[in-house]
Parts: sequence; C-alpha cells; structure tokens
Amino acid sequence: MQRVEVLLVEDNEHDAELTIRALKKNNLANGLMHLKDGGEALDFIFGQGMFEGRSVESKPRVIVLDINMPRVSGLEVLQRLKADERTCNIPVVVLTSTKDDPIMKHCYELGVNSYVVKPVAFDAFFKEISALGFFWMIVNQVE
Amino acid sequence: MNRRPKILIVDDRPENLVALETVLRDLDVELVKAYSGNEALRATLHHDFALALLDIQMPEMDGYELAGILREEEKTAKLPFIFISAVYTDNLNIFKGYERGAFSFITKPFQPEILINKVKFFINIHKQEAALSDLNEELKQKNEDLEQSNNDLEAFTYSVSHDLRAPLRAVHSYAMIMREDHEKELNAECLRLLGNITRNAERMARLIESLLEFSRLGKLGITAGIVDVNILIQEALEDINATVQKVPEFRIQKDMPRAVGDRDLLKQVFVNLLSNAVKYSGKKEAPVVEVGARLDGSEVIYHVRDNGSGFDMQYMNKLFGVFSRLHRDTEYEGIGIGLAIVQRIVTRSGGRVWAEGALDQGATFYIALPAAGV
Repeated sequence: MQRVEVLLVEDNEHDAELTIRALKKNNLANGLMHLKDGGEALDFIFGQGMFEGRSVESKPRVIVLDINMPRVSGLEVLQRLKADERTCNIPVVVLTSTKDDPIMKHCYELGVNSYVVKPVAFDAFFKEISALGFFWMIVNQVE
Repeated sequence: MNRRPKILIVDDRPENLVALETVLRDLDVELVKAYSGNEALRATLHHDFALALLDIQMPEMDGYELAGILREEEKTAKLPFIFISAVYTDNLNIFKGYERGAFSFITKPFQPEILINKVKFFINIHKQEAALSDLNEELKQKNEDLEQSNNDLEAFTYSVSHDLRAPLRAVHSYAMIMREDHEKELNAECLRLLGNITRNAERMARLIESLLEFSRLGKLGITAGIVDVNILIQEALEDINATVQKVPEFRIQKDMPRAVGDRDLLKQVFVNLLSNAVKYSGKKEAPVVEVGARLDGSEVIYHVRDNGSGFDMQYMNKLFGVFSRLHRDTEYEGIGIGLAIVQRIVTRSGGRVWAEGALDQGATFYIALPAAGV
C-alpha cells in the first residue's frame, strides 16, 4: 500500500468531493486517503478498530480535518492527536465554515497548524485549498 | 392572586379581642388573635400580616415595646400598626423605629366606623402593594422568558446560518464544475440556466451572511462612550466614496452635537444610512445627500436626507424589517438588511429610528440618540 500522504477527514460527501477535486487541481492529492468521520480517523491514525495492525509510526504527512462531524468531532480528533506524543507532530489543517466560528478558538488552543475556510462560492473554495499548497511546501521542507 | 389579608390583633383582655372581632367581622379579612406581646411575636413567625392592631396597655410588654421589636425584624419592619389607647397621645415618636412604617392611633372607647375606616385604609394599601408585587414578579418572569427565547433565537439563527452553507456550497460548486468540465457540450440555454443557478446561490450566500451578521449584533456588547458623529460621518463617507460609481453632492452640517453610544456600531449605522441614501438617489440627475442634527432635550436627533426615489409612507413600518424591501432587486440591488441593522443598533443604544418620505420625493431617516453632556 502506498504511503498515505494526505488524510482527509470529512463527513459531507459533497464537501469531500469538492475538496478532493481542489486538492487534485493543486497537485496535492498524491496518496490521498478519505475517511468519513472522526472515529475512522482515530482508528486509522492509532492502528485500531477497522485499521487494527496498522502502525502508528506510519504517519500521514498532513491531516485535513473537518470540524463539524457527527459522533467523534474534528475537535476531539485534534485533541487526541495533540495529546499523544506519537502523533502530536503531524500537521493538522482544519476545515471550517467561518473563521470566526467560536470553535476555532478551541482549535488554536489545541495547537492546530492551519485552517481552511469553506466558503460558499466554488472559486473561493478552490483558492482556499490552493493556499494549502503553500502550507504543504513548508511541511515538506521541514521533513 | 386572591389572598385574604391577615390582621394581627393583640390585647391582654379577651373581651377586648372579642369586641374587635365583632367590629371587623364584615371585612373580608382573617383575624389572628394574640393575648400578649410574646404571643404576637410568635404569630408573626407563622403568618404574613397586612396590619396589626395593638393595645398599648398590656402587662410585661406594652404595645409600643412590641411595635419597636416588630420594626427591628425584617419580616415585620414595614407592618403598619393601629395603636388602641385609652388615652389620646400626640407623641408620635414614642416607639423605636416608628419612622420605618405607617401607623395610626385610635382612642378607647372608639366608634366602630372609625376603626373600620382606618383598617380598610391600611388593607387597601396592602392589597395595592400585593398586586404591585405580583405584577412585578410576573414582569420579572416574562423578562426572563423573553431573554431565554432571545438566546434560543440567536443560537438558532447561528446554527441555521452555518448549516445552510454546506448544501449551498454543493449547489454553487457543482454548477460551476458543470460549466468548467462540460462547457463545450452545453448549448446557450443550458449555460444561461447554469448562470441563474450560480447567481441565486450567490444571493443566498449573501442572505446567510447578513443573517449571521445580524445575529452576531445581538451578541455584541455595547461599549458606550461619547461619540463625535462629525468624524464618524467623514469616515463613513470615505468608505462609501471608495465603492460607488456615482458620488452625489454631500451637504454635511458642521459641528453636529455629539452622542452617547458605541463608536463602531454607530459608524455602521451611518455607513448603512449613507449608502442607502447614495443608492436610492443614484438614478437622479443631481443626487444630493444631506446630513444634519439638532438637540432636542436630552436627545440629539440626526437625519440623513436624500432626493432619491423615496417611499410611500404607508410602507414605513416595512422599512426596518429583516429582509423586508420596498423595491425589486432589479430596481435597486440589495437584500434588505441594512435598515434592520440600523434599527437594532440604535434601539440597543437606547435611541429611536423613524423615517419620512414620499414616492419620488426623497427620504429622510432620523435617529435619536442620547446626547453627550446634556
């Protein structure tokens, strides 16, 4: 199995499709894995449940995380990642509807690395995702 | 609430208590008897009295002493007394704490009518006070309910505004993707329809944005200070001039009185009023927008007047509603939130808004705010 470079955690199938399209257009979709909720994401990252046996050492380069998801929210995923020394260094980019969402404050407190606003307008959304490309470049330089 | 007022009657002699009971039997009251000051004090622990009739000459504790003790207790501090005395006295400050509540005297032997009148007088006052306190309690409850439903509404608006965005993003984005990926396969009519979908999605996005902004206004605290409106207007004009194509002639009154309010919010008020004036006068050959103010008692009344399309006064109450408009989108672009925001800010600042106008004769918007230093 190819190494997962980008882990996208997004419950809304349309938002996921659009995000993937935007990532592809920006050449950011190599080794992309899409998971549909926070629970799956934790299973994947920590090699448990449906991903039993997967090594926690095989980290994605970046996690693109939707905040508002049923059951295990993005905020909880972020909390677990940042609290565990094995995973606290994985860069996390959260997807949010508005940057003045009160939840964003928690995200910063938890140590989120970046955020992408999901605007209504398609072209603006693509611009937001392409801004990720810049972030991606920096992440790669650090490694 | 229907409660029979309770009257405490205190006398060491049983025949006197019987006499009082007889005199007062036709009144719609409940009588509680006590044969001594101590018994009277005990009774006040179990009952809420509207009035106490106290005999003055009693062994151990006389009526004045009893009254003094009752005035010291929080529960009975304001209980009115009628002293029943064998000798007339005009020495009114004879007991401790006399100044804290109402009292009266009656001398023995008394005429039943006089006692009844005095009792009725105090009972009426008591009933009015009880009614007032019930009303206050009711008002307090209603206020709390109102606050709660306001909070619910804010939370609702906020979450609706957030949740509405996701499907809208899908509608808008898929329409754009269809154009991007399949433009060559689509005929002109298909492209026109796609354009309509996109434009409407964008309009709805603006509606949601405004709704969010409006709901955020409800949560913002008001930081009141003295606001120099002259400066605010200059700033607002700079913002507006940068965005409109056709700049009208501005006639701004000099040295307008200052107001008390939140500077940032009041700037928003003037930006909205001025952009409205600019927008609705934009189709005139020589558009003029005029700003002035005058002091009126403790208020300063500002006005923003334009010579534009105006409005029919019968629709005045629709001007300030959320998403309520008097023009079609094709006549004047807009979504109908600007004046709703103006009204919300001004009302929350303790002021008032109103407007005057006539069709095609221009419009004048007034805002009255607390004046500074008056």
